[in-house]
Amino acid sequence: MQETPLPVSQITQQAMGTIMTHKAYGQNADEALVAVFQEVIRLEKLLSRFLPGSDISQINQNAGFIPTRISRESFIVLNEAVKFSKTCPGCFDITIEPLVNLWKIGKERNLEPEEILIEMTIPLVNYEDLILNPFENTAGLRNFGQSIDLGGIGKGYTADRVKEVFLQYGVHSAYSNLGGNVVTLGTKPDGSPWVIGIQHPRREKQLIGAVSVLNQTVVTSGDYQRYYIDGNGNRRHHIIDPKTGYPAETDLMSVSIVSENSLVADALSTIIFIAGLNKGRDILQRYPQTGAILVDTKMSVYITRDLSERFLSEEGFEVTVLK
Amino acid sequence: MIGWVITFLILAGIAITGGIGWSKLKKEHQEANSLPIRSIDFNELQDGVFYGAYQGGMYKWRANECQLTVKSGRVTDIQLIGSQDPGTKNTQHQMLYDRIMDKQSLQVDTISGATLTSKAYLKAVEDALVHSLGK
Repeated sequence: MQETPLPVSQITQQAMGTIMTHKAYGQNADEALVAVFQEVIRLEKLLSRFLPGSDISQINQNAGFIPTRISRESFIVLNEAVKFSKTCPGCFDITIEPLVNLWKIGKERNLEPEEILIEMTIPLVNYEDLILNPFENTAGLRNFGQSIDLGGIGKGYTADRVKEVFLQYGVHSAYSNLGGNVVTLGTKPDGSPWVIGIQHPRREKQLIGAVSVLNQTVVTSGDYQRYYIDGNGNRRHHIIDPKTGYPAETDLMSVSIVSENSLVADALSTIIFIAGLNKGRDILQRYPQTGAILVDTKMSVYITRDLSERFLSEEGFEVTVLK
Repeated sequence: MIGWVITFLILAGIAITGGIGWSKLKKEHQEANSLPIRSIDFNELQDGVFYGAYQGGMYKWRANECQLTVKSGRVTDIQLIGSQDPGTKNTQHQMLYDRIMDKQSLQVDTISGATLTSKAYLKAVEDALVHSLGK
């Protein structure tokens, strides 16, 4: 019995400061991929703080002066981001940009930002200064110098939209990898689950294991992306702790979240990374539909119970199922 | 008095035999624990049905034979075809075999959290761009 295989297409795209791969099976795979490609570009134009005309750039430019009228979509993303900031005060803050920028300049000059500069910048980081008006669809930052960076949530929202676009085109088997944020649609064409590898936080070409997912997203935050080691042997990575102003010092090296919703997974992976193992475990209990794979600094792997049948570790890892 | 001596001798006998037995058992266990297993590159398997055997250590307690099937470069079946172990009816070996077959299925569709490997993707983009230039 010879079945005709489903048509399959794949494209690679450079957007949102990273590389994305989209793969789709089915009759409309080609058309769907073109639409996905364009959707990502459209969202980048709304949400990127690097593109001058974007909603976020305009809010940042008008900080301390006037509120900015923005699209409904940008409003929704900002509103969700504020909700997550309230979930774990001090772990997650989309007004983190002034600190991120300070560290970026430091990295370019190969110099750690001066402590005094960091201390002066911390008060600018406060999501409560973001005023959202749902009736006018406006957003504004209270103080001059404040600035939004959707780095911890924007790709998640984009991934959810990508999934919608696939569905609109009648595609029921697809995945997208948005620079490490993976979103899957349905199953593989043969009905089996997608197998998503989890990057080893210290060895570039290795995995800690793989998780089988259906219609879910897998988002990982770790200290091994965009980092450098400073003179004192500290790992200065890209996830800045809004409380301290320094790259988060946590007992976790990597956090992968498995969920139906990519925006939630994106935010939670950052929040739990900064919160650390114990506090992160408490936060996870508030999201019963969400699975997690955590790697601590001793290279021990912790997984939530729902993943115990679906996560397969590489050899040599001790895996503990979280209660 | 003689009764005590006999009791003592019997106990000493048991202790000595037990001690010797224990040390031999420990040696056997040590040997089993430190058994080297070579790492195999699963990507270079040839198709066919293969037999494998292990002679079972110093007392041959662990002797067993298996039959392994490779199809399209993948291990598709492992069967136990002979064993000294009276406990082979338990499913321990089957679980182990399943794990071996599972492990090779760590061939993933895509990787979460790997942005640093993007150089390979970039290379592909570059390649696509070169093609799009019609060169």
